[in-house]
Amino acid sequence: MFHLRIIITALRGLRQNLLRSLLATIGVVIGVGAVVAAVSVLEGAQRDILTRFESLGADQVMVFNGSERRQHRVQQVQSLLPDDAREIEHENNDLVKATAAQYQGGGQIKYFERNAVAPVLGTTEAYADINSYQVVEGRFITRQDVAGSSMVCVLGHKVAGELFGELPAVDKTVKINGKSFSVVGVMEERGTLGFTEVDNQVVIPLTTAMGRMFGQRYLTMLVVQCVDPRKLPSCIERVKKTLRASHRIRAGDEDDFTVFTQEQMKQQFGQIAQIFAIVLYSIAGISIVVGAIGIMNIMLVSVTERTREIGVRIAVGARRFDILKQFLTEAGIISLLGGSLGVVCGWAMANFLSEFTQVLQTHTPRSIIYIALFMAGVVGIISGIYPAIRAARLDPVQALRYE
Amino acid sequence: MGDSVVHALDGVDLEIRQGDFVSITGASGSGKSTLMHLMGCLDRPTSGTLELGGELVSGLNDRQLAEVRNQKIGFVFQTFNLINRTSAMDNVLVPLMYTRKSFSREPARKALEKVGLLKRARHRPSEMSGGECQRVAIARAIVNSPSLLLADEPTGNLDSRTSEQIMQVFHQLRAEGITIVLVTHETDIAVQADRMIHMRDGKIVEDIRVDDGHREEILSQAHDTHRQRIRQPLSGGPDRPPLTIARKTGTTS
Repeated sequence: MFHLRIIITALRGLRQNLLRSLLATIGVVIGVGAVVAAVSVLEGAQRDILTRFESLGADQVMVFNGSERRQHRVQQVQSLLPDDAREIEHENNDLVKATAAQYQGGGQIKYFERNAVAPVLGTTEAYADINSYQVVEGRFITRQDVAGSSMVCVLGHKVAGELFGELPAVDKTVKINGKSFSVVGVMEERGTLGFTEVDNQVVIPLTTAMGRMFGQRYLTMLVVQCVDPRKLPSCIERVKKTLRASHRIRAGDEDDFTVFTQEQMKQQFGQIAQIFAIVLYSIAGISIVVGAIGIMNIMLVSVTERTREIGVRIAVGARRFDILKQFLTEAGIISLLGGSLGVVCGWAMANFLSEFTQVLQTHTPRSIIYIALFMAGVVGIISGIYPAIRAARLDPVQALRYE
Repeated sequence: MGDSVVHALDGVDLEIRQGDFVSITGASGSGKSTLMHLMGCLDRPTSGTLELGGELVSGLNDRQLAEVRNQKIGFVFQTFNLINRTSAMDNVLVPLMYTRKSFSREPARKALEKVGLLKRARHRPSEMSGGECQRVAIARAIVNSPSLLLADEPTGNLDSRTSEQIMQVFHQLRAEGITIVLVTHETDIAVQADRMIHMRDGKIVEDIRVDDGHREEILSQAHDTHRQRIRQPLSGGPDRPPLTIARKTGTTS
C-alpha cells in the first residue's frame, strides 16, 4: 500500500505536467526505440541469412575462384576448370560423394510471345541430388546431356509458370538468348537455395553453357558433397590437395581458389554482424545517454518547483529517505514509460521497415524487450539519483520559505 | 557577513504546559519563527536543549526527529502549503504516508470531518476558498492526533471573518486537549490565547496569562497604540510601553 501510494503520487505529479513528462521521456523513447528497431533488423537479417546458409547443406564444400594480391590490389583469379570437378571426384572417391561444377550466366527465355529474364545455370546431373532439389515434371539433366552438350533445359518453378502457366512445359521448345532448347523438366517450388532464387532459374548442361551458350573456360564455382558431414575437414584438405596439384601450385605459394563451408560462411557472417551490432549499439547508447540527461534535467526542474512541497513533506514527518525514494520513483516511472513506449515504437518501426522494403526481414527477440526495459530502469535510477539527493538534502526551514 | 554571529534566539527559557493555548507575537526578525521551527523539530538549536513531553528532542537524529514531527507535532502555515495537484483528502493523507502503521483513510476522514470539510474531500485546493484551504491544512496537521499544534500566522492570508472561523477550529481543538502555539501579528488573534508571549531581538520580553477581564483591556490598549502609531509613524523607540503590538507592520515572518 505504501509503495503503491508513492507510485500513485508520482503518476499524479507526471500527469500534472503531461507535456513536460512526455518531452522528458522522448530521449528514452528514441534511445530504446532505436535499440529495439536496430536489433530487430539485425536479428531478422541474421536469421534470414543463416537459413540461406542452412539450405546449402552441412555436407557441402564450396570452391570459388581465388583472389591474389598484386601490387596492393586484390584481384580475382580465374582458375576453376570443369576437369577439376572430375579430378576431385576421381581421386577422392572415399570421401567425395558427388561434385557439381557450375557456371552462372543470364539469359532471356522466350516461348512464342511470352518471355522471362532469368539466371541460367550450367551444371552437371549431380546438382539436383546434392541439393535434394526435385523435379515435379519430366526429368533433370542427365550425364548424357552433359556429355553431349544437349540443347535441353530444366525450368525453375516460377519461370515455368511465367512461360506456360498451367500448361505442361515438357517437350516444348523455348529460346534462350535466341538459341532453341527443349524443355525436359520443371523443378519443384523451393524458394532460395543459398543466395540463388532457384525458382527463377533455368538449368542447362554445363558443357552447353560453357561451350555453345557463353563460350567460357572457367567455372563460377564448384560444389563438392562429402560422404559424411563429420568428415568435412579431411574432405576439405583432400579437395585442396587435389586442386593444388592439378593447378600446379608450388609449395609455399597461395591457393588460387577459395574453399568455403556452410559453417565458415556462418562464422564469417557472424563477425560482420557483430561489427554491425557494435555500431548500432553505440548509436543507440548515445541516444540513451541523451535521454538520461533529459530526464535529469526535468527532475531537477521538478525538485526546484516543488521545494515547498518537499518542505511540507519533511515537516509532516517524511524522512530524507522517503523524499529520495519519491523522486527516484518518479524518475524511474518516466524512464520506464519511455522505455515501454520505445519498445512499442521500435517494434512498429521494424515492422514498418520490413513491410515497406519487402526484402528486409525483421525479428524482435523477446530478450531485447526485457533488456530495453531493464536499461530504461537503470537510466531512470542513474538520472534520478542526483536530483533526488538534492531534494532529500533540502533544509526544511529554507524549503518552507521558498518562493 | 560570515564573521558576525547572529543570535536568532538568545537566552530563551520557555515552558509550555500540555493543553495550553499560547500565542507568540513580535516583529519580523524577532525570533518567533526560529522558536517555532525549533519547537517543531525542523531545526536544531546550536546550543541549548529542547524537551517535548519529557523527551529530550534536541539530541535525536534525523530519523527520530522525523518520527516526532509525524506523530507528535502538527504544522499549520500562513500560505497553507497544500499540494495543489491533489485533492483535499490526498493532502490530509500525506502525513499518513510517512507513518509506520498500516495505511488507512479513516484518520483523514475524521480529521476532515472535524474541520467541517468532509463534503469537499474530493476538491482540489484551487477549487476552494482560502479559509477552506486553511481548514484542510489544519486537518492535515491533526490527522495523526499530535499533542502539539504549531501555527505560523495561520490567519495572515485571510480576511477577519474567515480568520474568526479558523480561530473557532483552534478553540475546538484546544478544548480537545491539544497544545497550541500560534505565531501571529494580529493582536485580536493573539489575545484569544490563554498565554501571550511577545518577543524582540531573540528574547522573550513579555509573557502574560490572559483571562477574560484582561482581554478587553489588552485589545483597547493595542488599538490605542495602533492609532498613536498612525499619528506618529516614527515613534516607538526602546522606551515603548509594554505590549506595543503593532498590527500589520513589516513583512510576515
